[in-house]
Amino acid sequence: MADQPETPTMETLDPQTPSPSPSSSSSSSSSSFSTVSYSKPPNPSFQNQNPSPMPPSLTRLWRPAAQRNLRNRWSKLVSCRKQWVSSSSSGKSHATSLVNAHLSQRYMSTMELGVLSDMLNIRKKAGRKLFKQQETFRSKLLSSYKDMVAAVTQMVNASKSMRTFLKGPSNSALVQFSSFSGDQNDSGDGGGIPAFAFWSISSHEQLADELVQMFIMELNLKRLLVLELLSTSCDDPQANELHWSDQLYPGEFDHLSMCNLFSQETCEPVPPKLMDLKSDAPTVRSNNQPNPEVLQVYITTWLAEVNIDTLRVDEIFAAIGEEMHVSLT
Amino acid sequence: MEAMVKKYQQKFRKVRDEMSRWDELQTRLISQFISASSIIQRLQVLQDSKNYGSLNCVAGVEDALLRKQLESLEVIFLSLKRTMEEFHGIVFSIEKVHRDGRQQIKGGSNQPSAKQLQLRVGVKPTLADCLDGLMVLYDMHHSEYLLKASVVSALSTLTLKPSASDLCALQQLLIDQPNIPKDEGRQMTKEEDNKDKEQSSNLMCHITCKFGKNFK
Repeated sequence: MADQPETPTMETLDPQTPSPSPSSSSSSSSSSFSTVSYSKPPNPSFQNQNPSPMPPSLTRLWRPAAQRNLRNRWSKLVSCRKQWVSSSSSGKSHATSLVNAHLSQRYMSTMELGVLSDMLNIRKKAGRKLFKQQETFRSKLLSSYKDMVAAVTQMVNASKSMRTFLKGPSNSALVQFSSFSGDQNDSGDGGGIPAFAFWSISSHEQLADELVQMFIMELNLKRLLVLELLSTSCDDPQANELHWSDQLYPGEFDHLSMCNLFSQETCEPVPPKLMDLKSDAPTVRSNNQPNPEVLQVYITTWLAEVNIDTLRVDEIFAAIGEEMHVSLT
Repeated sequence: MEAMVKKYQQKFRKVRDEMSRWDELQTRLISQFISASSIIQRLQVLQDSKNYGSLNCVAGVEDALLRKQLESLEVIFLSLKRTMEEFHGIVFSIEKVHRDGRQQIKGGSNQPSAKQLQLRVGVKPTLADCLDGLMVLYDMHHSEYLLKASVVSALSTLTLKPSASDLCALQQLLIDQPNIPKDEGRQMTKEEDNKDKEQSSNLMCHITCKFGKNFK
């Protein structure tokens, strides 16, 4: 908040930003941001939507409010990511236990029991016990999935509330700010000026978007795995069978629509895909007696988080932390 | 003479500290090795699109998964290398203690006679015992380090044509530390409580059991 000494440099940067062509603006600005060369050009999508930039007096008031907001949103993103990591790893251990119990049950009939084979009904009892275990792990897996959905929806919310709008008439004596737009003319980005040292609000949004997108994609892939693992069962194939269009828990589709993962046209979740790849979207079909290799691939896919580029995520947090002079860890 | 034996006591204490660091590193090495070998064993399964089940509807998942796994494998190899360097550091420092000990006797101004070397004061060990002890400790750790280094390099060649039984044998070799007989090492450094050691070997057992059970 006490960024007063830096204000003059920011003001001189200001007129540069709305340069005539966006391409030249991005190239000139990327050269001036050599310290963060790995990031995308900070402000390519910037358009001067605000015909009359904020008067300097308001800018002076807007900046601290915007800075406070951005700090809160970014630290929310950091904590959501932590939540994701912990629920993803507990989900992985539940999935592993589920698979192990399932395979033990499946091979119970052929298992060599040695002296135990004389015991009455031992296979049956063991099978029943393993069945019960699977039920427990299924519900645990589902609750880890729920936690992951919650983490991602909060991330989406945080990334969408990075702007700071002026509340009330601009000429009133008491200037207030809010994260909701009350005025069509107010784009909430302070006229595109840097909120801290270099980056405008829309650059912050862009980085947040890039980050959140990874988690959204990964969530959808995990949904497929959860679905497959939940429908894996030995007996009663019909009872457990789940379809892609089924809701895994009440309210799931509302959460998925917040993450843009629910298609209103087909009325089912969008099919999973990888980052940067088009999906040809064939129907997601499940087989409830997958062989052990397939189950192993499922667990590995869970573990690998192919859609999340951890290095890039750390890089984004580090760059933003540097920009905001806070350490986001 | 007694003062000299005291000095040796300090040296043994230092070696004992190095050995407890060795045990920590050993635990780390084993877990790194297990992670690497489970990825290596998975690679073949991951290369067959028949094993992807419903994931086949996600375009490109096979390539992405393989790439991610190879990346993690590379990271693990790097940390294995770092762990091996730390092992080398321990060997180096035990060697230094041993060399200093020998210097103290052979290079000092008043060299003790052969008789003095064998002189026993009370329950304390003789100077010759001390010197031999340091020598043996250095030898054990040095040869064990060489063994570990060759096992780790064998692991990277196995990446290309993995065999589960080979991986298992290598892992067992790392765990067993054949060059370091547990009881002997302990006696020499007069380590009274070996709780830590037991704990770490229990942990290893635990890890291997878990490792063996999965997906079998």
